[in-house]
Amino acid sequence: MKMLKMRQTRATAVLVLAGVLAVTAGCSGSNNNGAGNSNVAATSNTQGEAANADAGKQDLKPVTFSFFGADASPNWNKMQDEVGKVITEKTGVTIKAEYAVSGGATDKISLMAASGQYPDMVFAKGDVDKLVDAGALIDLTDLIDKYAPNLKKVYGKYMQRLKYSKEDTSIYVLPSNDSIDQTYFDAGGGFELQQRVLKELGYPQIRTLEDYENALKTYYAKHPTTDGKPTIPLTLDTDDWRIMITGTNPAFLATGLPDDGEYYINPDTYEASFHIRRPEEKEYFRWLNKMFNEGLLDKEAFVQKSDQYKSKIASGRVLGLIDQEWGYGDAENAIKSKDEGAYTYGHFPVTISADVKDHSFAPTGFMAGYGIAITKDCKDPVRAIQFLDWMASDEGQVLRNWGIEGKQYNVENGIRVIPADIQKQKIEDNTNFTKNTGIGLYFVFGPHYGDGVKDPSGSYYTTNFPDQIVAGYTNAEKETLKAYGATTWKDLFPKETEFKERPYGAAWNIPAPSDSDYNVIFKKAEDIIWKKIPEAVLAKPADFDKVYDSMLKQLDDVNLGKIEKIYTQAVKDRVEQWSAK
Amino acid sequence: MELVKALTEKHPAAGPDGAALAASSGPARFWKVMKSQKYLYFMSMPFVIWVFVFSYMPLWGWTMAFQDFKAGKTFGEQKWVGFKHFQELFTDERFYLVLRNTLAMSLMGLIVGFVVPILFAVLLNEVKGRLFKRTVQTISYLPHFVSWVVVAGIVTKMLSTDSGAVNNLLMWLHITDEPIQFMAKGNWFWSIVTASDLWKELGWSAIIYLAAIAGIDPELYEASRVDGANRLRQMWHITLPGIRTTISVLLIMSIGHLISIGFEKQFLLGNNLVKDYSEVLDLYALNYGLSLARFSFGTAIGIFNSVVSIFLLFLANGVLKKVTKESIM
Repeated sequence: MKMLKMRQTRATAVLVLAGVLAVTAGCSGSNNNGAGNSNVAATSNTQGEAANADAGKQDLKPVTFSFFGADASPNWNKMQDEVGKVITEKTGVTIKAEYAVSGGATDKISLMAASGQYPDMVFAKGDVDKLVDAGALIDLTDLIDKYAPNLKKVYGKYMQRLKYSKEDTSIYVLPSNDSIDQTYFDAGGGFELQQRVLKELGYPQIRTLEDYENALKTYYAKHPTTDGKPTIPLTLDTDDWRIMITGTNPAFLATGLPDDGEYYINPDTYEASFHIRRPEEKEYFRWLNKMFNEGLLDKEAFVQKSDQYKSKIASGRVLGLIDQEWGYGDAENAIKSKDEGAYTYGHFPVTISADVKDHSFAPTGFMAGYGIAITKDCKDPVRAIQFLDWMASDEGQVLRNWGIEGKQYNVENGIRVIPADIQKQKIEDNTNFTKNTGIGLYFVFGPHYGDGVKDPSGSYYTTNFPDQIVAGYTNAEKETLKAYGATTWKDLFPKETEFKERPYGAAWNIPAPSDSDYNVIFKKAEDIIWKKIPEAVLAKPADFDKVYDSMLKQLDDVNLGKIEKIYTQAVKDRVEQWSAK
Repeated sequence: MELVKALTEKHPAAGPDGAALAASSGPARFWKVMKSQKYLYFMSMPFVIWVFVFSYMPLWGWTMAFQDFKAGKTFGEQKWVGFKHFQELFTDERFYLVLRNTLAMSLMGLIVGFVVPILFAVLLNEVKGRLFKRTVQTISYLPHFVSWVVVAGIVTKMLSTDSGAVNNLLMWLHITDEPIQFMAKGNWFWSIVTASDLWKELGWSAIIYLAAIAGIDPELYEASRVDGANRLRQMWHITLPGIRTTISVLLIMSIGHLISIGFEKQFLLGNNLVKDYSEVLDLYALNYGLSLARFSFGTAIGIFNSVVSIFLLFLANGVLKKVTKESIM
């Protein structure tokens, strides 16, 4: 009886005060100091890097660091993979990692901040502001100066970009999400069409929404079913945040803007405004509305969950997508081998009209911002920074990207090459390959050069370079590309050199201003857009304007102008900070 | 254990040594009772500690609702703001929308999820074939052990317009020519949630009633049969009154839980199109509280939740006490 009352209170109190209760959230790893095997690493200390003077003196006593990563890493193998074992041997460090399950780690990071218990290292992506506000991260400036020659070398001219903000010039984060001096060799975005569609239509020009629509329409009319099931001309994945990737981002891409998150940044005045408010984008959604009403857009485009979306793609029934390859890649893999790859997708720089240029490759320079940070709970920040420094060394980067010489790659004529059987395994059984070798699992642990950068030996740092990319294409893809006179999909897109680098990088990775109203208004605006865009697209053509305008009206009502002003200031501060010398 | 303790605390005279203790009074009596029942007290201690740690200690966190809580600062450094967060909460239109959704879905859940299991239990009780009865019972409560993530997947697949089972059936029966977009219509959402909840919990909720029915004296049935009562009469006059106490207790508890219905179902089944119908209080607290690091605001929602729950619990208890003489307090 009393029990009942207590349980009542408990149920509600526990739920809401989860923040207080979740004291175990941070979960600092235990320091399993097995003092026994420290000599192994010490004797085999052949740190090749001559430049790395400090590394020789590095303490190699085994140490365990706990880590939280905001991106899912389903193949994480607790460092029992081959690369992981070498890392532990060379640095003495074992990482005890925990990863977000999928999508965002916002809640988890909020809980960390509320409980005040942090792992030793954290990769917080866009939520780093919450940790900085809570005073959870330590300033790395001096540590880098003292212990990290490799970090200094790799970041080089971008050191200025590591500083947190104009007011707070501490370095909290070692950017490791983006690669340094990356050259993109392939395109993974734009508008997608299946190879079989292109082949049958004789490789027509796909440049505008109209071209794209015609291709879908013509092919769909001829082939209303695929393997006995209805063909789906075009579908989207708008499950939670994915609505940005396949729903709202294509609106600015198709109307000739680079990716600045939810904002359109005026290139001259740096004035920020929600991109969705631009009249051009209304026309993009009007087109989607038309597609829906003509039966070309999947009825379930705005209802289905990601797994339904992927299962449709894996069945080969979907002719066209508006997505990024990382969003549907695993589904495409399932059908890659069928008919030489006829059901895989090609990428096209489709825009609203021929005079609008796709800005997918508008250069940003090195994107600092998202990266790995060391928290105040870290037992030994010096060892942690030395570990990250080693990871950034040439030896560390090659290990992370290529694996172990003689196992995952060989050196022929002084150049690293991947043996054919390994390459095959890597493409066909990527999950097990990743789990066993650990290649790709240590991406965020320290900075890395991008594709196209060569090390002193003349080999590329990464395993993505033109020959390797073309080798990964299916026959159908090669055929399509040949027909368009291109070697990679990227050749179809406007080149980097056609654009001017934005002095603020890209607006999506400017930390959210810590104004309490900012987050609330932003969230409200997001709610409105995520709800109204589907409504507008699914409306009858005659009602489209009404629904769309009511969205614009609602956005005005939540005082969007206020946060646009705040953000304008943030962009201006960023420009000032990054251009300072 | 709790029960014994509570009983003996309230009515010491009813305790095992009641007669001997009735004469003494005040603290002396308390200590005497305590001494004579030390083993009972001892055995209940772990539970008291458990309840204290998990139910009462977190209440300290309620202070957050009256501060502009910033993570990383000590308690002394927080800024006190009084009822600011409550004002913000009660002036937000969205709050009333989610409150409506919460109450609508829990009321629907309460009515359906309360009446149907009772009916199911009573009917199942009438089944004479033992094997059949057991089989039905087992099958019906199995879904209880399936996680909501999986159930949501099944429901969305079943209701899909892309060869979903329900739409296929409706079209085959010529009830509709076009597949119905169940998941895209806000006004369907509450029913879908209620129905899937019923499917998942029906068998499980029925177990307790079946147990209560099993406890009814068979002689009552025999006697009624002699009096010429048919099966329906027996159900009405013996089975249902026999489980009245159980029904009342569970009803009071369900009413107490009205506002805290969790968010898994709504979170997993909802989508952007039906958001105005799917967002419930807990989801609102998550989206506008925790996710935005507005811990104080989230706590304010939590307090509102608790206060309403306690109020509803007492209300239900009071009303039922008056009407049926059954109560849990």
